[in-house]
Amino acid sequence: MGNSISRALGKLFGSREMKILMLGLDNAGKTTILYKLKLNKIKTSAPTVGFNVETVTYKNVKFNMWDVGGQERLRPLWRHYFPATTALIFVIDSNDRERMNEAKEELYSIISEKEMENVVLLVLANKQDLKNAMKPQEVSEFLQLDSNLKNQLWCVIGSNALTGKGLMEGLSWISNNTNKK
Amino acid sequence: MERYQRKPGMLPKSPSVPDFHGSTRVRNINLEMKRNASPMLPSWLPPQGTPSPERPSRLRIESTYMDDDENLSFIDLYGDEVMSRKIDINDDDYEKDDVRTNDECTDYPSSSRVGSKSTVATFSDSNLELNTDYGTRTGSENSESLAETVNHYVPSEHKILIDPDGIYDRYGFKKQSNSLSEIAYNRWWKEYAPYCQRRKLKWKIFLEKHKIQPQNSQAIPSKFPDKTEKLKRYIRKGIPGDWRGNAWWYFANGDDMLKKNVGKYKSLVDQVEMLIQSQTDEKYSKIYMNMEIIERDLNRTFPDNLYFQQDPDSSKEPRMISALRRILVAFSIYNPKIGYCQSMNFLAALLLLFLEEEKAFWMLVIITSKYLPGVHEVNLEGVNIDQGVLMLCIREYLPDIWKTIESTCETTAYHNAFQSRKSQFKNEFLFKLPPITLCTVSWFMSCFIGIVPVETTLRIWDCLFYEGSHFLFKISLAIFKICEHELLHKRHQSRIPGISTPNPSKYSKSHGDDADIELFQLVQSLPKKLLDPNDLFEKSIFKRIVNFNSLGQDEIDRCRKYVMSQRNKYKDFVDMMNKKQTEKDASVISTADGKSSDSSRYDVSVSSSEESIMTAEDLSEVLMRETYGFKRTLTNVSWNNIGLKSRVRQIRKKKDR
Repeated sequence: MGNSISRALGKLFGSREMKILMLGLDNAGKTTILYKLKLNKIKTSAPTVGFNVETVTYKNVKFNMWDVGGQERLRPLWRHYFPATTALIFVIDSNDRERMNEAKEELYSIISEKEMENVVLLVLANKQDLKNAMKPQEVSEFLQLDSNLKNQLWCVIGSNALTGKGLMEGLSWISNNTNKK
Repeated sequence: MERYQRKPGMLPKSPSVPDFHGSTRVRNINLEMKRNASPMLPSWLPPQGTPSPERPSRLRIESTYMDDDENLSFIDLYGDEVMSRKIDINDDDYEKDDVRTNDECTDYPSSSRVGSKSTVATFSDSNLELNTDYGTRTGSENSESLAETVNHYVPSEHKILIDPDGIYDRYGFKKQSNSLSEIAYNRWWKEYAPYCQRRKLKWKIFLEKHKIQPQNSQAIPSKFPDKTEKLKRYIRKGIPGDWRGNAWWYFANGDDMLKKNVGKYKSLVDQVEMLIQSQTDEKYSKIYMNMEIIERDLNRTFPDNLYFQQDPDSSKEPRMISALRRILVAFSIYNPKIGYCQSMNFLAALLLLFLEEEKAFWMLVIITSKYLPGVHEVNLEGVNIDQGVLMLCIREYLPDIWKTIESTCETTAYHNAFQSRKSQFKNEFLFKLPPITLCTVSWFMSCFIGIVPVETTLRIWDCLFYEGSHFLFKISLAIFKICEHELLHKRHQSRIPGISTPNPSKYSKSHGDDADIELFQLVQSLPKKLLDPNDLFEKSIFKRIVNFNSLGQDEIDRCRKYVMSQRNKYKDFVDMMNKKQTEKDASVISTADGKSSDSSRYDVSVSSSEESIMTAEDLSEVLMRETYGFKRTLTNVSWNNIGLKSRVRQIRKKKDR
């Protein structure tokens, strides 16, 4: 019952809902980010086989966040399930320089899909706490989003899922850069 | 904590009960009082009045292992026998009620609570002998014996002694999880540990009757009786924890597998060691790739489990992790068609907690071939088929939740391919699986590890190996049934008349999205709270009246075949439609290219595309006509009536005596 009232109130005061898809290679830290945002707790997370969906409310905006398992073999399972996504969060393990290329390829193959045409892209350069991690600047240069993404809004933010650094910035960037309807 | 300390004091409610009846009497009255107080008693509780005559015979029954059938003293509403009330559920009833009273005690006038104290003393005194099987852990001996029953798990080479009162459970998993607190776990475990003990005792009697004597020193049987209804029931009530490894191995026919492959695992492991050392051979590039993926998952497998954690005092890798690596890499060599797929790490890790390494490996082979055929293969077709089967089952048995699921399915463009047809493919969801299957995929791939709390997972595994893969569908339906209940309850609550939303069309759309998310979150989070396997099983599996309990292995096999063929036909159909589309495009281009171009080529392309329309239409015709019919049985009729009557007579006779 609280549901419909708050929805009605939400309409009046301009609260919004958006669907956010969180992708990235396996072991990038997607689930950890999700539960840091949701519970403010570090969950020692195991590989996600299916997916996790949680709603996170931040500054009047309700984010429905979908976190999907990253292993290559499991990707076909969810590929076709995400029309009407407002924003895409692509999580990168900045410490894993060896797989940076793989991450890049994956990112481009996702955003080249038709459903992702109008999606706002946030890249989280995760695991910034590690010494060897690539800085957000480096990640951004490596991904060459500058030259390749002309029609899309994008942003690279450094993050640390363990402390929560960068996550809120990311969400507020998303909410500031999507149309207010 | 305070609750537990006070617990004995809460038991007898009525101060006026005379002592000469003994503790049992006090408890019975207590039960009835509570029944009046709370209308929400579980449905499997017996009707009032019946329990009293049986209590005094408790001790006698336990001291002399009497024939089991003597104990069959109660039949529940559904014609299913509630196992011997004296040792079994009976105790559970009381235990559960005790806890409930704790919560309710504030409702009672304080005077009765004060008065109850004197009775408490007598109760606990006279109840001392009972304590062993009540297992209320009042005495230190008792808790020791409990620890013993619950601690012999892991094959001895890995064994760590776990303090049952610590933060880890008996398998080494952290008691606390995102959905459950440690307090909730302990509260449940306090009731469940004595239950396990009682079940083990019953198992021992059962095996003795079948002349099965465990050979080894730990008294763990390696053979079990032939399949009977009774054995099935025993298994559904849980195999004793330390017997699980052997029981799974036995029921899954592990020995047959091992006999056929003597020495195979060792040679595979040798190969693994060789590969780990060299890491250069081009020939094995695929295996190296798998090894890399495995390596990333190793330290993320059961990070909450003691056995899989790094010992801070030593730099050496936990032995379980090394064993897990060997098993997974060996498997990827053994079965290149599967290689390595996430979720197999969980299967192997759980097996390792109960079986020695070689057996765990062969069990993994058995699971991935016999119980979950094709589920972990590269194209994941097996798991998609199973999802289709599950969806069919939900449509058949849980129509209410199916409505919600159906509303989340998208319909695709090729419906409109034949404008003349209004009807849709009824079974399109078998090909384009509903989004909820994203969630249920992991139920099957990891066999409920991490989906439900570990004790429930293990109970499911017990039944899986004994009953076969259809049990996974049954338990999935059982979970959906609980979800359905919750969902309808929530909907009912949120529906308030009189409030209309400003924009109805907008509202209904966003409401649809909400229903989507609501369902997802429920299906995702609810299973994680199913701490008590008894609760889940009693809600559905043990009830004959629940319609999907008639679902058998042959039905599921038939269903799998059907879904497979349907999916293939859809695939062909979609391919044809795509081909037709491209040909059409091509022909458009060719006409646009220039009218002067070869006209005969144009004719050919038209005719060929017409041909494909024909076959596509035929196929669509077929797809529309073929539906799956479940075998319908008269589910609400209990064929056991005669048995039921005679059992009731038995009870009456006993009462008269």
